[in-house]
Amino acid sequence: MNIRRGLLSTISAITLFLVLAAFAIVLVAENGVVQRYRILGTARDMQAWLWTRSSNIGTFFNYRVENKRLVAENLALRQQLARYQAAGRALDSVAVRVEPDFSYLSANIVKQTVNRQRNHLILDRGRKDGIEPGLGVVTARGVVGIVGAVGEHYAYVISILGAGQTVSVKLAGSGAFGPMIWPGTRPDHMLLREIPVHIQAAPGDTVLTSGFSTLYPPDIPVGSVVSAQVSQGSSQELTVALFEDFRTLHSVYVVRNNHQAEIEALYEQVP
Amino acid sequence: MSRSRSILFFVMVFLIQLAISNFLNLGPWITISLIPFLILQIPLQRTPHVVMLSAFGLGLLLDWLSAGVLGLNAFAALMAAAPRRLLYRLIINGERKDVLWIPLLRDTGLPKYLNYLLSLTAIYLAAFILLDCVSVRPFGFILVKFVASTLVSSLLGLLLAYAFQRRS
Repeated sequence: MNIRRGLLSTISAITLFLVLAAFAIVLVAENGVVQRYRILGTARDMQAWLWTRSSNIGTFFNYRVENKRLVAENLALRQQLARYQAAGRALDSVAVRVEPDFSYLSANIVKQTVNRQRNHLILDRGRKDGIEPGLGVVTARGVVGIVGAVGEHYAYVISILGAGQTVSVKLAGSGAFGPMIWPGTRPDHMLLREIPVHIQAAPGDTVLTSGFSTLYPPDIPVGSVVSAQVSQGSSQELTVALFEDFRTLHSVYVVRNNHQAEIEALYEQVP
Repeated sequence: MSRSRSILFFVMVFLIQLAISNFLNLGPWITISLIPFLILQIPLQRTPHVVMLSAFGLGLLLDWLSAGVLGLNAFAALMAAAPRRLLYRLIINGERKDVLWIPLLRDTGLPKYLNYLLSLTAIYLAAFILLDCVSVRPFGFILVKFVASTLVSSLLGLLLAYAFQRRS
């Protein structure tokens, strides 16, 4: 009985200590400017540390799936490289200089949401890696989002799974393009709008990025058509099943359009 | 010393602390605190809950009345109050069973009392100075401030302990 009472007393004393200490720290953070920044800075560092660790654990358990995906991606890239090498050899013969339109930087996801109306991701790359707000984020199997804010070591990405986010895409067969939006229901389906009614779109047709925005490179396979229905009598609305599963996503590529400044300068010249 | 005189002495020391905090400007190098001495004046048989709550309230009151950063003294006082019983057992190791006993200099002897007071003051000032200065001031400055403040505050506490003993 005495041991039990002693144990309860110790536990209640420790609880009281923790509650009072937390209260004092909140008071200090509220009332001291320097202390507030220091306490919030420490809290953010701890948060980032926790995110990184929990992400590492998640990545460890998904290695098998991730490996399969990387092998498939590698294969596709090798085939693409072979095609470009052949094209390069042909171009060399007529002395044409080929400069890539986009450059890529790989990044790991340390935190992400998929079940909110506006979703986001945190990447383990930041300003020190050359990341800037406004860059696109993609994978080999689709579009992920746009860099919204950048810290020294981390970047905040606005996911395409968000109300108001659109991606310009096209149908692989016909080339008909339109904006693709997220209806906010399932993280693996989006809607492709403004496709003219005369365009034949069958279930299984591949949807690719159009390349009409400066954010994403063209021809990235994004998903496949599931169903089509006429919307407002003048256009079709296609339901697209995304290739990328956001719930198992761990690594992405941040894309920089090497000609973005030039394109923006053109817009500025127009009165 | 009677209970009412003990309380009067306690209040008096708190008022001295208030005067030090509000009117005595010793520059950035020294922080004088009598709160650890006041934590020693809480009778030993009080439970840790009472000691922690009293110390926290005392610190908060000082923060409020001295227009400092609210919570700074309260946090430091809590850090010093929490291990008080453990420190008493480690340093003095007395077996007093009186209901409301306050350790006196003549009962414990100067070395043990000074050790006890220095330990509590060091914990208090470490918490206070770290929360107040860390990452804003260089480590050397923090160390010098900590050592100087601990020595001065403990010496002042010792003088008050003599005064308290004479009145007992």
